[in-house]
Amino acid sequence: MTRYFRETSVALALAALLLVLAGFAPSFYQAQPLLSLAAREAPALVVTCGMALVLICRQIDVSLGSQLSVCSVAAGLLASLHWPLGLILPGSILLGAAFGALNGALVAGLGLPSIVVTLATMVTWREGLRWLRQGVWVELPEGAQWFGLSQTAGQWTLIGVALTLLALLALAMKHLAAGRFVYAVGSDAEAARLAGIGPQRVTCAVFVLAGALTGLAALMNVAQSPQVDPNSGTGLELKTIAAAVVGGVAISGGRGNLGGAGGLGLAGLRRSGADSFARRGLLGKGDPRRGYPAGRRGGRLARPQTQG
Amino acid sequence: MKSPLKSILLRHETVLLLILTAEWWFFSAAGRNFGTLDNTFDIIRHSVEIGLLALAMTAVVLTGGIDLSVGSLLGLCAVLLGMFWRDAHLTMRVAAVLTLLAGALAGGFNAALITWLRLPPLIVTLGTFSLFRGLAEALTHGVDTFTGFPEAFLFLGQERWLGLPAQLPIFLLFAAGIWLLIHRTTFGRSFRALGFSAEGARYAGIPVERRLAMVYVLAGLTAALAAIVYTARLGQAKADAGTGYELLAITAVVLGGTSIFGGSGSVAGTLLGVAAIAVLNNGLVHTRQPREVAGMLTGLLLLAALSGSVLLKRLATVRQRWQSPPEATERTSS
Amino acid sequence: MKSLQPARKTEKMEPRQPMPPLLQLDSVSKSFEAVRALRDISFDLQPGEVHALLGENGAGKSTLIKIIAGAHRPDGGTLQILGETVRHLTPATARKLGVACIYQQPALFPDLTVAENIALRLEPAAAFRRVVWPERRARAAGILRQLGAGLKPETEVRRLSMPEQQLVEIACALGSGARIVLMDEPTASLTQTEQRLLFAAVGELRSRGAGIIYITHRLEEIFALADRVTVLRDGQSVGTSRVGELTEFWLIQQMVGRALAQVCPPAARQPGACKLSLKRLGCAAGGVREVSLDLHAGEIVGLAGLVGAGRTELTRTIFGITPADSGAMFLGGQRIEIRSPPEAIARGIALLPEDRRRHGIILEMSVAANITLASHRRIFPGTWLRPAAERALALAFMRELGVRAAGPEAPAHSLSGGNQQKTALARWLATKPEVLLLDEPTQGVDVGAKAEIHKLIRALAGAGMALLLISSDLPEILGMSDRIAIMRGGTIVSLLPGNSTARQVMAAALGQPIDP
Repeated sequence: MTRYFRETSVALALAALLLVLAGFAPSFYQAQPLLSLAAREAPALVVTCGMALVLICRQIDVSLGSQLSVCSVAAGLLASLHWPLGLILPGSILLGAAFGALNGALVAGLGLPSIVVTLATMVTWREGLRWLRQGVWVELPEGAQWFGLSQTAGQWTLIGVALTLLALLALAMKHLAAGRFVYAVGSDAEAARLAGIGPQRVTCAVFVLAGALTGLAALMNVAQSPQVDPNSGTGLELKTIAAAVVGGVAISGGRGNLGGAGGLGLAGLRRSGADSFARRGLLGKGDPRRGYPAGRRGGRLARPQTQG
Repeated sequence: MKSPLKSILLRHETVLLLILTAEWWFFSAAGRNFGTLDNTFDIIRHSVEIGLLALAMTAVVLTGGIDLSVGSLLGLCAVLLGMFWRDAHLTMRVAAVLTLLAGALAGGFNAALITWLRLPPLIVTLGTFSLFRGLAEALTHGVDTFTGFPEAFLFLGQERWLGLPAQLPIFLLFAAGIWLLIHRTTFGRSFRALGFSAEGARYAGIPVERRLAMVYVLAGLTAALAAIVYTARLGQAKADAGTGYELLAITAVVLGGTSIFGGSGSVAGTLLGVAAIAVLNNGLVHTRQPREVAGMLTGLLLLAALSGSVLLKRLATVRQRWQSPPEATERTSS
Repeated sequence: MKSLQPARKTEKMEPRQPMPPLLQLDSVSKSFEAVRALRDISFDLQPGEVHALLGENGAGKSTLIKIIAGAHRPDGGTLQILGETVRHLTPATARKLGVACIYQQPALFPDLTVAENIALRLEPAAAFRRVVWPERRARAAGILRQLGAGLKPETEVRRLSMPEQQLVEIACALGSGARIVLMDEPTASLTQTEQRLLFAAVGELRSRGAGIIYITHRLEEIFALADRVTVLRDGQSVGTSRVGELTEFWLIQQMVGRALAQVCPPAARQPGACKLSLKRLGCAAGGVREVSLDLHAGEIVGLAGLVGAGRTELTRTIFGITPADSGAMFLGGQRIEIRSPPEAIARGIALLPEDRRRHGIILEMSVAANITLASHRRIFPGTWLRPAAERALALAFMRELGVRAAGPEAPAHSLSGGNQQKTALARWLATKPEVLLLDEPTQGVDVGAKAEIHKLIRALAGAGMALLLISSDLPEILGMSDRIAIMRGGTIVSLLPGNSTARQVMAAALGQPIDP
């Protein structure tokens, strides 16, 4: 019981929130908005899985948000050039994996602290993207949205992909030797080395995987609207770190699992639940102290950064 | 930290000085209007805020920690300064003092989480990075801007005093203070001890929690001071002030040779690092490069600086292995 | 499990069968930066033998072990395992070739369970294979049972004590089916119970035909367990002999390279005023219960007890690292409360900690900086550093204590263990303490420096300091102490005079009745 204390408490909190919403804001429980909410959070869920892995390995990656933005724009551009989905999907994943490989090479190969490395790559990709695109959104061609399926079918596909991925990774972390290696390296890298597990290989692999997952998430993100927002990744890293931590991953590494889903669900529900409350006039504005840049309230254009 | 380590550090600063000179020469040739006195003063003005943050960050990094929230705190303090002056109708002096207090308190908040709750500085300041910015945005509802500050105040940021930019004396005074603190006092010695080994420092009787609190409160105070200078220079205060400054500060510190792992570093190196970044940014503007290129280069510069120091160290060990190894320093006498 | 007595070598030498050695090293060398750790080492290990490695600290024993385990790459020479020359050995390939290693510090994964720790060490390092948890648990349970250790496979290693963690390491070695088992000071952190289990495991491994390389400082273990012993000095092999042909005295001589007069000079004085008095002092977090003890000026009180008895924890409570939550402390008659190390230092209490590298000194800082680190208020009034005064002070202490280093600016990591310990001692002497707590002051220190430190401790007592000496080395405690306090289960169970016998002390430590 105590072993799964964190996960159980998250689950209980989630259940409590759902009950409260059922009682006070039943408008929340309509099928379509719920589906849209779940589909909207699906990409973040996928990235959370990657982030959780990085955290368990006792590292951190704050560049995943920028990676998502770049991969989203890249995927969008390829789509507008009428590339088939069969090429865009691996392309986006590979691009994310390449970013991850760079992070991994610097952290694992040179032994540099991951916070500083990923801070640097975050800025580089973000500024590079802004330089190239100047904040312009990418217009997707007809039929690209929802992969050409109907909205509902598309949403279910995305949710399905996210949940399947979550399940697969959770299984792998528990029952695949490679997954256990991640825990080992996160717990004590030197002991791992002496045991014949190469901590550098594992660390690098974790970054690559996180990047690849982000590439996939980018595509899932792109499929949800007719345009691609070049800032879609802003604030993502903090959100996914928080979700992973709430879901039981320890910042010190070596423990936790992918219960980040629960954490993410909590965050997403809180926002939508807050919206439902707001419609009933119970709450003025959303909770500003969380500090996430005011979310995706329907296609806001990027604010140009002023540095004076 | 003398002998072999000292020589490496000296070498690092010399390299930095060379880079600085190279930058200056390049931009003077490539950009119009670069090497002028006016422009140099412009560089100085722009770099004072980053410089202040970098100086405080040096102390933080020496203890083996990091403070990602200084940029956001700068924004929050700028907003507070505006609010104290415009909405609370206080004089600029009082508003400034209150802002400094607020910055120190915010730093204290970081310190409390780090020392009492024993949370890692990375996570704490990652959180307050969001928190402070969110507060600033909430206070201004995302749109409010404070302008119309009194002339006397703006003088600080925009005019000259005795022929030099007015904020320079403040900066130099502060830099001197930090230099003394880190290199000439027991506090600086204890910061280094903390950075090398927190447990070892504790067993040596160093008041670990007090020293950590000191550097984070100092960082908060400095962010507030930087906010005041920033507002004076721009003539306006907005919630997004200081965005990205923490990265610039960290880059300057690492560029200057301070080890990101703690324990070794110098104020002179940080100052050189700040200069290198400031000249780079300014030079890029003069050669008509877009602002984003500067951002990218900052990121790449940080990576290069980090990788460079590690690679140099590895090269040194490889080189030593090739030379005939001298006898071990001493063993027990035979 | 077979007999619980330490495996004995046969008295009669059996005719040696011409079997290939399990391990053969020829002219192996290894350097770290400027330090030559090993020079031209030749070494072999026969099946079914226990080959002891003896040497001072820094003689190269741990480096040799790490090379055989694949953790370090030798710079020169050849390595043959089971007759095959091996190049580019890594920990993974060493494991595959049948090498198992038990390090001084258990290399375990604190956040994972015992079962998983054993599994990760024993399973092949292939990444993409399925993990079957019931199999893991059963295998771990089986190995632990065979060893005789009462550990539950599902416990997280974090929650185990040091001796228990070391047992897990031994279990890994036992379960790995390894032919070559390396043990680096395996009994350093074991209590009597675990030691017996270890010796039994050694016997089991021998009967399987495995060879064991056994590093130890304890000569009695060499005589009890080993067939042959190789002595290392300054990175070179001084010689290999059969244990039956040696005496203890000869061994010590080989290690140090010169004749030794006496290890522990005798004590003789009347204790002075009571400096520190503990009355039912307790710290729940540290496991210290109701400790009452008086320390007098000019007196050395030895604190004996088994590993885990709470001696180190007691010093940490007195010094303020884990402050007391019950009972009282009196300094010079006045009641005091110490909630942090700075408070302790201000009151004249100093602690030389057990873990030299983590707590005793800061390796990256210079000798001078280390020496002045605890005395900033006294040496640098007004918080301004004074480099000249610091250097002078450091030189004075280096001279007085015999610290051999390139200079006061030399980084502490460039010194040998004994000199590092002297530097640590200098740090505390600079605080001019009234009470000095010494936790294993000569652990991991070569015999020469050991004698010097003993002389220093004697001199400090002679100058009027009150000293508490923790040591797991019985001869040391018996030779140095004016009184001996024995701890067990977090409290002091008996107080014996300094001229007690080893058996009396051991009996008290084990909780058995003491014969007069």
